[in-house]
Amino acid sequence: MSTSTYTTPPAANPHPRLRPGRYGIAIAVAAVVVITLIISSLLNYVYLDTIPARTSLYGLLAVALIALGTYIGVRAFTRDRASRRKHLIRAGVLLGLGTLLWLLVIDVFVFTQAAGPLIAAICAVACLPTTAFGLFVVRRMDRNEKEPWRLVLVAAAWGAIVATSLVIWGETIWDRIAQSTLVPGPGLDASTAFSAGLLEELAKGLAVVLLFLVMRNDFDDVVDGIVYGAAVGLGFNFLESIAYMTNMYAIFSPEGYGGAAAGLQWYGRQVLGLFFGHATYTAFIGAGLGIARQLPHKRQKAFAIVSGFLIAIAGHFSWDAWVQFFPIDNTLFGLVEMHLRTLIMTGPFTAAVIALLIFGIRYEAMGLTDQFRKEATTGSGAILPEEVPILSSPWRRLKQRLRAFQRGGLRAYLEVARLQTAQLDLAMERWHRERQEIDMPLEAEDALRQRVIQLRHWVPAA
Amino acid sequence: MSSVAFDQATFTLTTPGQSIRLCPAVSSAPYDQVQTLYRTLLVFATVAVLILAVGLVEFVYFEPPGQTTGVKARIVGVYAYDPATGTTLGTDRSAFGRSEEFAAVVDWSGLPPNLNVGARWYDGFGTIVGRVGPSTPADLGNFSVVPVITPPGLHHNLPGQYTFVVERLQGGLPVEVLGRRIVLVER
Repeated sequence: MSTSTYTTPPAANPHPRLRPGRYGIAIAVAAVVVITLIISSLLNYVYLDTIPARTSLYGLLAVALIALGTYIGVRAFTRDRASRRKHLIRAGVLLGLGTLLWLLVIDVFVFTQAAGPLIAAICAVACLPTTAFGLFVVRRMDRNEKEPWRLVLVAAAWGAIVATSLVIWGETIWDRIAQSTLVPGPGLDASTAFSAGLLEELAKGLAVVLLFLVMRNDFDDVVDGIVYGAAVGLGFNFLESIAYMTNMYAIFSPEGYGGAAAGLQWYGRQVLGLFFGHATYTAFIGAGLGIARQLPHKRQKAFAIVSGFLIAIAGHFSWDAWVQFFPIDNTLFGLVEMHLRTLIMTGPFTAAVIALLIFGIRYEAMGLTDQFRKEATTGSGAILPEEVPILSSPWRRLKQRLRAFQRGGLRAYLEVARLQTAQLDLAMERWHRERQEIDMPLEAEDALRQRVIQLRHWVPAA
Repeated sequence: MSSVAFDQATFTLTTPGQSIRLCPAVSSAPYDQVQTLYRTLLVFATVAVLILAVGLVEFVYFEPPGQTTGVKARIVGVYAYDPATGTTLGTDRSAFGRSEEFAAVVDWSGLPPNLNVGARWYDGFGTIVGRVGPSTPADLGNFSVVPVITPPGLHHNLPGQYTFVVERLQGGLPVEVLGRRIVLVER
């Protein structure tokens, strides 16, 4: 093969850097989040008198994790460069776990104290399968290159734990001021809706922004953005559902229908509103970031990101402010009204995000197919010409894996799956490099190519 | 020359798909589909701005600026209430049990006689659970006790925060809160 036909595009960034500029922004955002959380925790401790005794006890593990993480992190800088990264990752994981655990303890007591731990546990168990189903579906939406479970779960955990912690005091202070100054009625409702839309979407959106800044290799385009955004929304919806279910149970149980009230909340939020509510709103933030990822000009990037946030805030606001104009009868027809209300009020937003998703998937598929062809013509052996139509179709990829399964069982299936994933990664890398939207050095692409070739030794071409 | 200029203008104005079909040169630099996504997002964002603007208009409509008269209504207190006799009992309180009936007492005499006023109780869900008026303070003089009415179908009041407001109305809409009390109904 002559080198003249080797069409690997040049490196998009001729000055590879270990720490791109976006990391600085990510650190700044993370610092703001941590400071806000510390202030929130202090306010919780001072003003919410039911918490301290138990959080002090359960919080010990979180404190220990944070202490250990800090120790390993500090020690990492005394080590050689080769092992430093490994130790820093360990420290980061421990610090992250400690923070999440601490926030979870606070959240559990703040949001579920109304009905007691047993009811809270039952509500959580009821919400787990539906939320897990939601995450499964959302992840499957990316038909070409599925996001790693660890990132999808981190996004959901942020939505459930960090975002809810971030908004507690903002919404409480806003509501207190509004209730003591405004006329009760639609004006106050609109104010509350602005508070929820603005604060909750900003808190949830921060998770997607951080993923966008830090995990750029796993944040490819609008499809990935929608997946991460929806995952954050599902996480937030999980804890909010538990909070509403326990609260409704506590309010209505003396009347004898606490279970029915909690069940209705579960149905409304975990079945009917699983994809229609928070998942849809935050998916728009992800869509904005995903589109910004592939836009060439900074001004357009900024507009796209702001647009995503605006749509999310408006969608959330419209539900909270105007849901009162669609009252539900206390009759059997109320069940029909409940579904119609969700369809009419949130349906258009969900349809819009699905439209962006479908277009994004098609566009991504076109880009990848183009790169499969180009890589095949290089003769590098990473992608063979006969593999192009297979790799271009999710169904044909599945059929190829199933054929491998018939031939060699689960191991063969997994080996083919790994090869396909590596080939898709390579095509994605090429696509980004061709579009000059990547800051990884060219060596990273060569490493991916070598990995595909290495995997191919284990898997015969289909 | 003019023909060339016309052709170029045509290509610029055609849709991306048409451009590719009409001019081979364009196919080497195909229309970036991300721009379509971007423009679609901008259209959605425009709708979002309209929604938020409507929300702002709604807020201003129900909370019109410049409505402060400086008048304050005197809420004497919130007391336990005996519905049989229609009288209040005991001392001013800020918390009640679920099974306790309670009512606010308003001194209407301190308000200017030409005002159109009313008083309402709102429960934790924002539902009106007790009211008098709207009318003039003189007409409401005999309705100084405003009780909370337990909603039909319930045995007791729902727990949560209850807000009592004395409001000034204009054109049938409450535009100013002249007095406010918040009490807690415990679980």
